[in-house]
Amino acid sequence: MNQQLMNLVMKATGETLTMVSLSTLFSLLLGLPVGVLLHVTSSEEQGGIISNPVLNSVLGRIVNVLRSFPFIILMILLIPLSRAIVGTSIGTKATIVPLSIAAAPFVARIIESALKEVDPGVIQAARAMGSTNWQIIIKVMIPEAMPALVSGITLTIINLIGYSAMAGAIGGGGLGDLAIRYGYQRFRPEYMICCVVIILVLVEVIQVIGNKIAGKMLARR
Amino acid sequence: MQIILKNLKRYYGDLHAVDDVSLNIPSNTIYGIIGKSGAGKSSLVRLISMLEKPDAGEIYYDDKRIDTLDIKDVIQERRKIGMIFQNFNLFSSRNAEQNIAYPMEICGMDKEHIKKRCAELLEVVGLAGRGDAPISTLSGGQKQRVAIARALACEPEILFCDEATSALDPQTTRAILALIKEIQKKMSLTVVMITHQMEVVRDSCSRVAVLESGQVVEEGKVTDIFANPQSEVTKDFLSNVKISKKDIIRWSKEGGQYRLGFRGGKTDDVVISKVTRDTGAMFNIRAAGIQDVDGEKIGVMIVDIDSEHAEAAIEALIKGGVSVEEIK
Repeated sequence: MNQQLMNLVMKATGETLTMVSLSTLFSLLLGLPVGVLLHVTSSEEQGGIISNPVLNSVLGRIVNVLRSFPFIILMILLIPLSRAIVGTSIGTKATIVPLSIAAAPFVARIIESALKEVDPGVIQAARAMGSTNWQIIIKVMIPEAMPALVSGITLTIINLIGYSAMAGAIGGGGLGDLAIRYGYQRFRPEYMICCVVIILVLVEVIQVIGNKIAGKMLARR
Repeated sequence: MQIILKNLKRYYGDLHAVDDVSLNIPSNTIYGIIGKSGAGKSSLVRLISMLEKPDAGEIYYDDKRIDTLDIKDVIQERRKIGMIFQNFNLFSSRNAEQNIAYPMEICGMDKEHIKKRCAELLEVVGLAGRGDAPISTLSGGQKQRVAIARALACEPEILFCDEATSALDPQTTRAILALIKEIQKKMSLTVVMITHQMEVVRDSCSRVAVLESGQVVEEGKVTDIFANPQSEVTKDFLSNVKISKKDIIRWSKEGGQYRLGFRGGKTDDVVISKVTRDTGAMFNIRAAGIQDVDGEKIGVMIVDIDSEHAEAAIEALIKGGVSVEEIK
């Protein structure tokens, strides 16, 4: 195997991992509060503890609009924002901005649906014992939903690996970038194959680890 | 702690879930609230336990009115009551001990104290040493024991049991009721027991309110109500009481026009023979037995009386302190 291929692939894998892990972190920071808010403001029948239909439908609309935006267009639209935050609009660092923002609404919906699965009786018990709303969210809802949350986060990471490869199209760095520039534009199929295989392996590994963690949590209950 | 309800109302649209209920739940007793599903008992307990606000009426814990408190005070007040549920409602993300610790955690008690109290409570409910058990590994009865321990963690003065035994088999039900009775005595609790099973009322309560369509149709001492039910709902409940084989013996499946009820001392008297001698009425005993209701013996006898002397016999029986009810 030639040395150049090895070097480039290693570097691109590192970039992809950086992009994916940082954008997972930021999308969680953005999406978690929104997801919790979406759930707690929903109607009482759906388990909302501080039901607020107006706030709920406004938030829901925003999340839906952002989610239905094609990622490739969102990336282009967010170029000024990336420049403002990280000082550049190309490369790994710049891609983290649109990746995080694209994944955040997805994360919010995943968190919302995980929290909806929590037994309403348990929430009622926590309320009857004199929990504040904050205590219910932090000490009951989120821990009770943890296995579903972990599965959701696994799904988010896998989605982000896919998105990050797409980001290569506008010079985002990482495996997708390498596959497009070398594999496609320079007609070198070995680069293309290498990148695709690594992406597939990454997805598989993340999925297995995610399933393991969620499974362990369920087994301890 | 005594609980007083005055003209409580709670409507959901056209449905009058709780319709003008006034009750006086005395301190240091087990008080039953019985009703069929949809009779409004769950709504009522949600009002008394401050989970919902009434549309009208007043609720007092001793002298303190609690239905008008603002949310901050309600949260403080809720920490002084315990509640257990039909589905246990334990936290699956926590083991038995951590479940019991939860109400103490939210009150901000220190860790050392919580640990000590958890061990004590596990002992009280008969689960000593099982603190690290995941909830899913416990049986229904054990889950309810953990729930009881959790409800008692902050030393409440009131314990609400919302259909607490409905998901349990008869044997476990008896064990859990025995535990609740024992704890009630030990801690001088006011226990409010919501149920649709007359057996639960018979085996644990000293007073009971019968609820139908959101209204109290009958209220009184359990012994009085068992011996002499007034409303149709109560009679219906009583006729469905599952009597264990040793309590009542039935000789004949057919017939039996009258149900005679004997209370306390009357069970020792030779009432039937006296009536036979005095009126000449002939009795055919179809079934008879004794039920233990809140420590008092209630005798039940199902009989035919020959039609010629029936009227005189019934009059004599009632005079002799026996309640007579015609079975249709």
